[in-house]
Amino acid sequence: MNTMELPETEIVAENKPEVIQLPLGLLGFEQIKNYALLARPEEEPFMWFQMLEGAKQSFLVISPAFVLPDYQPDISNDDAEFLGLTSPDDAMLLNIVTLRANGQATVNLKGPIVINRHTLIGKQVIPNNVAQYTLQHPLPVS
Amino acid sequence: MLILSRKPGESIVIDGRITVKVMRVEGDVVKIGIEAPAEVPVHRAEVYAEIQKNNQEALVNGGVKLPRLAKR
Repeated sequence: MNTMELPETEIVAENKPEVIQLPLGLLGFEQIKNYALLARPEEEPFMWFQMLEGAKQSFLVISPAFVLPDYQPDISNDDAEFLGLTSPDDAMLLNIVTLRANGQATVNLKGPIVINRHTLIGKQVIPNNVAQYTLQHPLPVS
Repeated sequence: MLILSRKPGESIVIDGRITVKVMRVEGDVVKIGIEAPAEVPVHRAEVYAEIQKNNQEALVNGGVKLPRLAKR
């Protein structure tokens, strides 16, 4: 187990994180529009998605490639247009990890955060094939 | 809220492009058929509520131990 402290704003500045704009916020956090994506090598494959406004709390996120290699959320045309995605390569996917009290962790595969790599604008989308995926996909932890 | 009475087989049209049809009524379950253009997302309302709740549970407030991913 790695023990770590929540990233401070200063650390964020040092690491020059990507600033991701979510014009619609996350579901339940609609008022927070700007997040820092903080990736530290020692924490791979996890990354932090930290609010840059309000309480500046964080979400733990992971690329679905580490969770379910054949994960293929079917992004609606409306969302693709909203994000300005013209090909699947334009999109970066992040899934929110929930740390459970018993040391287990789950990943939300129903509501991925989809980010346009070029504009760094993102949205938490509900894919057309949402019924295929689970909200609390267990993460294989050791 | 607009409330309409419909019988099985009857429909309503929204915005001239979305058709909502009552297919069958079986006890307390109503089967609804929805025809909408591809760009109109249609989801059960619970999906939004579940993801919202999951987001709230996932929020990290303090120092945490990061799990170590098991080797595949």
